[in-house]
Amino acid sequence: MTRLRLRGGRVVDPTQPADDVRDLCVQDGRIVTIDPREPVDEEIDADGCVVMAGGIDLHTHIGGGKINLARLLMPEDHRTRGNPIALPENPLELASCGGCVPGTLATGYRYVEMGYTAAFEPAMIASNARHAHMEMGDTPILDHGAYVMLGNDELFLQLLAEGGASGRNFETIRDYMGWTIHATKAMGVKVVNPAGISAFKFNQRKLDVDENHVHWQVTPRQVVHTLARALRELGVPHPLHIHGSNLGSAGNIESTLQTIQALEGLPGHLTHIQFHAYGVEGPKKFSSAARQLAEAVNANPNISIDVGQIMFGQTVTASGDTMRQHAQSGLANPRKWIGGDIECEAGCGVVPFKYREQSYVNALQWVIGLEIFLLVDDPWRVVLTTDHPNGGPFTSYPHLIRLLMDRSFREEQLAKLHPDVATNCALRSITRELTLREIAIMTRAAPARLLGLVDRGHLAPGAAADIAVYREQADREAMFTTPEHVFKDGTLVARAGRITAVPVGGTHFVEPDYDRAIEKTLRAHLAAHGSVNFDHIAIGHDDLCRCCNGGRLLPAACFEGAT
Amino acid sequence: MTETPLPPSARSTRWTCPFCVLLCDDLSVRENPVGNGFELAAGTCAPAEAGLAQFGTAPSAATPRVDGRPCPLDDAVAAAARALVASRQPLFGGLGTDVAGARALYRLACDTGAICDPADGDALMHGVRALQDRGGFTTTLAEVRNRADLIVCVGGLPFGPRADFFRRCGLGEATVAQRHVVVLGGSANDEAALAALTGRGVTTESVSMQGGDLFSTVALLAAVLADRQVGAVPPQLATLAERLRAARYSVIVAETPRLPEHGALLIETIDRIVATLNLATRSGALWLGGGDGAGTVNQVFTWLSGLPLRSRAGPAGLEHEPLCFDAQRLIDDAAVDSLLWVSCFDAGCVPPPTDLPLIVLGHPGLAAPAGRTGTVFVPVSTPGVGSAGHLFRGDGGAVLPLVPLYRDTLPELADVLVRLTQAVKSLRTEASA
Repeated sequence: MTRLRLRGGRVVDPTQPADDVRDLCVQDGRIVTIDPREPVDEEIDADGCVVMAGGIDLHTHIGGGKINLARLLMPEDHRTRGNPIALPENPLELASCGGCVPGTLATGYRYVEMGYTAAFEPAMIASNARHAHMEMGDTPILDHGAYVMLGNDELFLQLLAEGGASGRNFETIRDYMGWTIHATKAMGVKVVNPAGISAFKFNQRKLDVDENHVHWQVTPRQVVHTLARALRELGVPHPLHIHGSNLGSAGNIESTLQTIQALEGLPGHLTHIQFHAYGVEGPKKFSSAARQLAEAVNANPNISIDVGQIMFGQTVTASGDTMRQHAQSGLANPRKWIGGDIECEAGCGVVPFKYREQSYVNALQWVIGLEIFLLVDDPWRVVLTTDHPNGGPFTSYPHLIRLLMDRSFREEQLAKLHPDVATNCALRSITRELTLREIAIMTRAAPARLLGLVDRGHLAPGAAADIAVYREQADREAMFTTPEHVFKDGTLVARAGRITAVPVGGTHFVEPDYDRAIEKTLRAHLAAHGSVNFDHIAIGHDDLCRCCNGGRLLPAACFEGAT
Repeated sequence: MTETPLPPSARSTRWTCPFCVLLCDDLSVRENPVGNGFELAAGTCAPAEAGLAQFGTAPSAATPRVDGRPCPLDDAVAAAARALVASRQPLFGGLGTDVAGARALYRLACDTGAICDPADGDALMHGVRALQDRGGFTTTLAEVRNRADLIVCVGGLPFGPRADFFRRCGLGEATVAQRHVVVLGGSANDEAALAALTGRGVTTESVSMQGGDLFSTVALLAAVLADRQVGAVPPQLATLAERLRAARYSVIVAETPRLPEHGALLIETIDRIVATLNLATRSGALWLGGGDGAGTVNQVFTWLSGLPLRSRAGPAGLEHEPLCFDAQRLIDDAAVDSLLWVSCFDAGCVPPPTDLPLIVLGHPGLAAPAGRTGTVFVPVSTPGVGSAGHLFRGDGGAVLPLVPLYRDTLPELADVLVRLTQAVKSLRTEASA
């Protein structure tokens, strides 16, 4: 029963009324209250430090088929100036390398060194679920979970189409969703280019929100609404995770606003929204629609977002959106890319990309992301992401935090951009600087709340002792790059940028209730159309344990559904 | 370790076959009439039958050996650890294991700086190198079953005439009303097998190679499809190009281990064909390779380290050398001074002839090749026969759980590797103390 006291730090916990300087105590992996006069086993001086809950990344491509393809595609990313990446000096670390798509081991070490303690893979394909859980299980220290992809699988589209306008098949779809979450041990559901990945398999090249899928004759609007409603009825805490239509296209703000309308007030999380907030104004017919987007988010409390900020430099984009990745594959840098149609349920597109400051489009993308961060009023509905690795690697978060907290630094960076962007963008006139409390919301408290993780993302008594202790510095990038101490469930896992313990992280998932009778339908469908025996699809708890390397299973509670 | 329920021995049981990359999981297995082995309860499949023939119905009583003499596992692990610690550049070859084995193998490879190259590493590298250079566009079995109206098999029918490949593609099912199957550069046996596929909505055709050369044939096809001026095109090839253009969803399939030397160039050209087709219609490539665990180990090493096989955690750092780290070349050049060989699925996958200190972890049938002085042999369980496990299917996406046919008395590879890694660490600690 080890007791630890972090003495005299400024505790920034947005779930508490004030960010007081106070002691924070830990016992058996949990935050506890201990009388200041009582002895503890270890006391750490946190004077001059900011104490936050461990960071939670709710959208980061860290595990599964397409990210391993990205690693295979980019061996040059796994060298440094032509030389092999040196082996770790720390005997606790195993060799693992990579810049924009590191190995899972390096991913875990680097996240933890920055004070993050949980990360969520947003695009798990059901047929690839074991693989995703295996990679996450091999991402040390971090707790993890994944959202399973629906909305492009032929069975869903067929049920939706055959149910007609009256939604006759809604209950079947809901139970199918419940079974899929159960079978894949998912934490949520994501839709990627609703119906568009499937449409591309039927040789359709574009799909607007109210346009029919060429084969199934259903629209993205129907897909989004049906999925959001089903998820709500199943009581899954995380809202439908939506990668909307027309990613990356000029003018796609229209699709984004229509997607918000399609939800009709149902909860929805619009992911990497920067890539979906483009207008068609200006000489290049490509403009920021950040203000329109922010107004819509501000006006619709059912909507949350993560930004997907881009960062300049080399990265590789890895997406389930085959339709859009194929369309943009001509921009690949270096000139190579991977695409795939997958199991009548999904797809993937892996396109290397180099964001350049002197590119008008890239500069504007950078600006749009920051504008969104700064124009949305309620930080509880905004999560800080780069859509790792699509906008940039997660290791750039401290730089991003500085951009958001430090206006003069932001302006220095802005001045380096393509002159038309630097001169004309609305960002220039935005004076807002995010506070530490707002950063703590966007990187911890809000993602925990959006995921339904009641004991994470805050530091109230009873919470898990996932803690990051940052030395207060004016240079926020330096401050957030290397916390003094990082604790995972009360264990010191990093000290001043050095990994000190490598526990296996736990797996978050939800287990919604659904009508088991759906299995008969699924068994028949798979027998006629699948490539895997129905009995081998669902991942049981023992199997999940093996996949996840023996980490703890962390089922999250569902709320009482509307049914 | 979780207990996996075992089937009652007398009846047939559902089984997932680990012996080829299709990982058929709708098979039933039962004891053969003589009672000394397993057989498929229905249907035929050459790889499955050959794989099963390596096992009795009860666990093997094989014991570990050092220098060919039976010994306790502890002694074998200690001898193997001494050999690895004495080695300046170990080579890990074979690599026939599943996900759990690969995870454990990576730790040992990091601790020893071993170069890792699977059996038939050249075949695996065909795909890896093409991917690194160009990428590609692939499809999977369920897509083929539900969409493919044209299937073009390059270099022969996958897995030969007796395999289950076309059943897995849904040939003859109503999912796709009319399909055309082409074999490009197949053998006489392939042509005979094609005839057997014909009917029930399936038409077939054999297209011969240009001048007997697959490379120039595929290159010519790519040029025709890209509308380049290439002079006179043989009618068969011109027809194939037209069929590819007209297909709603064509699939070009090849078994990568059967591609000739420099097969990466073929894959690259076919990727180009698929890319051209995808500008106007839909197409995907299906590369079937990485059997006997090689593809699985490649996936695991890639996600752990960031780099695929033919890599090492060497003195300069993590190095990937898709040409130089060829196991046979390293042995021939005396660039390695010990060999650890893993083959859990195939007793016929023997280590290359060598006088180097040799550690073999694998199927009990590998005792003989590891019988000389300077060898350590540890028989281990086969995932999908004696123990549970996970393998990646050859099309890359699906990971299937393997269920055992009996409860093995042999240890799992991962358990042996964990002990071996600990023994290596202990020896190093002793040496530095």
